Amino acid sequence: MNIARVRGTVVATRRSDKVDGARFLLVEECDQRGAGRNEYLVALDMIGADRGQLVLLTQGSSCRWTFRTDDRPMDTLAVAIVDQIDERGVVTYAGQG
Amino acid sequence: MVLARVKGTVVATHKSPSMEGLKLLLLEKIDPVTLKGKGDFVVGIDSVGANAGEIVFYVTGSSARMTDTTKGKPSDATIIAIVDAIEKDGTLTYDKAAAVQRPATGVAE
Repeated sequence: MNIARVRGTVVATRRSDKVDGARFLLVEECDQRGAGRNEYLVALDMIGADRGQLVLLTQGSSCRWTFRTDDRPMDTLAVAIVDQIDERGVVTYAGQG
Repeated sequence: MVLARVKGTVVATHKSPSMEGLKLLLLEKIDPVTLKGKGDFVVGIDSVGANAGEIVFYVTGSSARMTDTTKGKPSDATIIAIVDAIEKDGTLTYDKAAAVQRPATGVAE
C-alpha cells in the first residue's frame, strides 16, 4: 500500500463503474515523511478523508475486495487515514488529532 | 485511476476477434494542476462515450475488464469516467462547463 496526501476532489457524473455514492479524491503520492512526489492519482474515497490528510492507497485487483467495489472497475482506493508514521523509532509524520 | 486527456482515436482492423466492436482512444496523461500533457500516451478502451478533448480517468490491469463494455475482453486500460471538475486545495483547476463556454481561453490544447 502506498502513502498519498489528499489534495482535492474529482467530479465525474458520466461513469461506467456503477459505484453508488462514489466520491473521488485527487491524491498526490508521498514519501514516508508526507512530502509530495508531484504524481497524482484519482482514488475512490472509502473513509471520508479530508484535504491535507495522509491516506493509505490500495491499488490493483485488491481494490475489488470490498463490498462496495466487488466486481467493479476500480483500481485505486483510499482505505485508511494515517495518524502517525515512525521510521526507526523517530516519528516522521504525525497527523492532526 | 489515472487522469488523462483524450487526444484522438486509434484504428486497428486486423485484431483478435475478442477486440471487435471496442472503441480505442489515444490518451495522454495530464498534470491535474496545470492540465498540461505529460507526453506519456496510452491507448484506452472507451466504456463511457468519451470524445476528443475531454478529460477522463481510466483503470488499468484486471480492473479494466470489469465494465459491461470490457467484460471478458482483453483490455488492460479502460476509460470509466468523464471528468466534470477537478478541485485542488479549494480551487477548481478544471471546470468542464467553463471550458466549453470559453473555447478560446479554455483548456483544449
